[in-house]
Amino acid sequence: MAILIDEKLCNGCGLCDVNCPGDLIFMDEGTQKPKVLYPEECWYCGACRMDCPKDCIKIVFPLTSL
Amino acid sequence: MNLKNNNFNENVVNVDVLVIGGGSAGTMAALAARRQGLDVALVDKAGIDRSGCGAAGNDHFLAVLDTGPDWDTNEAFMTWYHRLTQGLVDMNIPPKVYLSRIKNLLKYLEELGVPMREDTENDAYIRTGSFGQPGEYFINFDGRNLKPTISKEAKKIGVKFFRRINIVDLLVNETGVIGAVGFDIRKGDFYVFLAKATIVATGNVTRFYNNQASMPYNSWHSPYNNGGAQAMAFRAGAEIKNMEFVNYTLTPVNFSASALNAIVGMGGYIVNGLGERFLFKYHEKGEKGPRWIMPWGVYWELKEGRGPCYFDLRHLSEEDLNHLINNLLPVDKNTFLDYCEQKGVDVRNDLMEVQISEGQLPAFLGSVSGINITPECETTIPGLFAGGACTVAVGSLSGSMCVGDTAGEEAAKYVLSGGGGRLEISPETVQGMKQSIFKHLANMDGLKPCELEEKLRQVMTLYVGIGRSKMGLEAAQAELNKLGNLLITAKTENLHELMRLFEFRDLLEVSKAVVRGALEREESRFGISHYRGDFPESRKEWHCSLHQKLEKGQIILKRVEPYNL
Ligand SMILES: Cc1cc2nc3c(=O)[nH]c(=O)nc-3n(C[C@H](O)[C@H](O)[C@H](O)COP(=O)(O)OP(=O)(O)OC[C@H]3O[C@@H](n4cnc5c(N)ncnc54)[C@H](O)[C@@H]3O)c2cc1C
Repeated sequence: MAILIDEKLCNGCGLCDVNCPGDLIFMDEGTQKPKVLYPEECWYCGACRMDCPKDCIKIVFPLTSL
Repeated sequence: MNLKNNNFNENVVNVDVLVIGGGSAGTMAALAARRQGLDVALVDKAGIDRSGCGAAGNDHFLAVLDTGPDWDTNEAFMTWYHRLTQGLVDMNIPPKVYLSRIKNLLKYLEELGVPMREDTENDAYIRTGSFGQPGEYFINFDGRNLKPTISKEAKKIGVKFFRRINIVDLLVNETGVIGAVGFDIRKGDFYVFLAKATIVATGNVTRFYNNQASMPYNSWHSPYNNGGAQAMAFRAGAEIKNMEFVNYTLTPVNFSASALNAIVGMGGYIVNGLGERFLFKYHEKGEKGPRWIMPWGVYWELKEGRGPCYFDLRHLSEEDLNHLINNLLPVDKNTFLDYCEQKGVDVRNDLMEVQISEGQLPAFLGSVSGINITPECETTIPGLFAGGACTVAVGSLSGSMCVGDTAGEEAAKYVLSGGGGRLEISPETVQGMKQSIFKHLANMDGLKPCELEEKLRQVMTLYVGIGRSKMGLEAAQAELNKLGNLLITAKTENLHELMRLFEFRDLLEVSKAVVRGALEREESRFGISHYRGDFPESRKEWHCSLHQKLEKGQIILKRVEPYNL
């Protein structure tokens, strides 16, 4: 959860990986698409989606933060 | 990559000025030093373009502009700031690091295209006041692209970027600080930076108190700032001060948004469960009082059964609500409206429940805790400068940027006038440092960083949170010492965890300093920041700063008289 990336829309540019201030998003060498490896360490800051050229990232709050 | 065999590449980087932390302050420091023609390295564990507290944008830019009214002058600012900090900040600092620079910084950012004028019809600034200010010091602006913009400038003028390098410790020899070591969090390469001047700017300290939603990374300020600068400087022998004053704010319930500044700045109310605007009981200015008053008031309302407490915006004009909802809240925290939507709160018509945030060491205006610096941003160790939220200077976004600018300029001056120690360190020392980092990847048995960190938060929340006592603080000391022993054998599975382990190490260092300060300071001050149940009043003999430094393994304490205007 936390960061949902629509793989179909994603162009694999890797900006979300570079921009995440917490080292949570990693480009998968096989699929060339980003993977959120540490969702429980998310700050919910939105930096990953701000420069996304495909607008394909959604931030989903876990139940306890609502 | 086999992480266990310890065969990581070694890189040695020689520069004039090393800047550790590429956030708001560090990037400005690198720019300023580079403008003097020096060779500058900007090192951050994150990607720099969007990292630190400004990663996704800030919305308030503190500025004194001399536009006419009495409050908009340096004198009025100094009077207010002195009152706010109760004299615990060296009053020679604000003129040098902030007031003399702020107009230039504003001009510079406007030239770079940062949208500062939200009143587009009149091409004018919108300014609001909060936190006891005598007037409207905060320019409301769209800071969403501020960080990438200054980052690009730094790159353009030739600052050398080292992204994703987690700095672990400073390099010190008998001449002072001569650089730092760290590792690449993706590749594992070991880095040795040697520099004539080193600037630490790794921001504030978070993740050492339990978060209300039980999500440790759901913190008020960036959860990836963990007191690196304060801990590294302290280990190197530099003075830190007033560490006992942990800060709290109000956030929307279960959500880490800063929001408070925007809400009270626009005239929002804070009400209790009975619908009363209760803050006037605690401060004559109510919602316009200093920041610490708000969690203090909420604390007592909740304790005495008048909770929950809420932001109440229902009385605001349509125009003000639009400004708040369109220009401020989602700029301050990019995900603010996602939270509202997913929670089902309508900011215009509903009360928004608030809570007291987890404790942190600050990054905002009025903070009196952190690395002790001179107006030239020098620490008490030769070769080591500091800037931004990790220092005791003018905090906040624009404050940190100005302080960073000063640190860069002064470090450059120091280098250009022949300063800087002997850049030599024995290969054995360096190898020892490398070993002590990477050994955790080979450890098979010890505890994991997240387990240690969880325990740290438990101890800090239980004994060093809101309401402290001698017995509790001594219990905390004992528990933190145990954690220190467990750290030695901690195990990490990968480089990401290795970074988290060294974050924990710095958090532990800072926590110990907080506890030591809190134990020593037998009084209460700044509301819940430091509330000793056994000494519930502020005491005259404690109207002073408490400095700590490490000398031959011993902590040396010093009390410093408050500064006058
Ligand atoms: C959501 C939010 C909104 C805010 N809004 C406002 C506002 O509107 N107005 C205002 O005045 N202030 C605001 N603030 C505060 C303001 O952003 C900070 O005061 C300011 O950014 C501090 O700058 P800094 O350079 O000291 O720290 P940061 O900008 O946080 O930079 C610290 C950097 O150090 C790096 N780092 C940390 N540890 C290490 C290490 N060991 N090795 C290498 N790198 C490391 C981090 O990755 C980070 O990039 C806000 C803060 C937040 C979180």
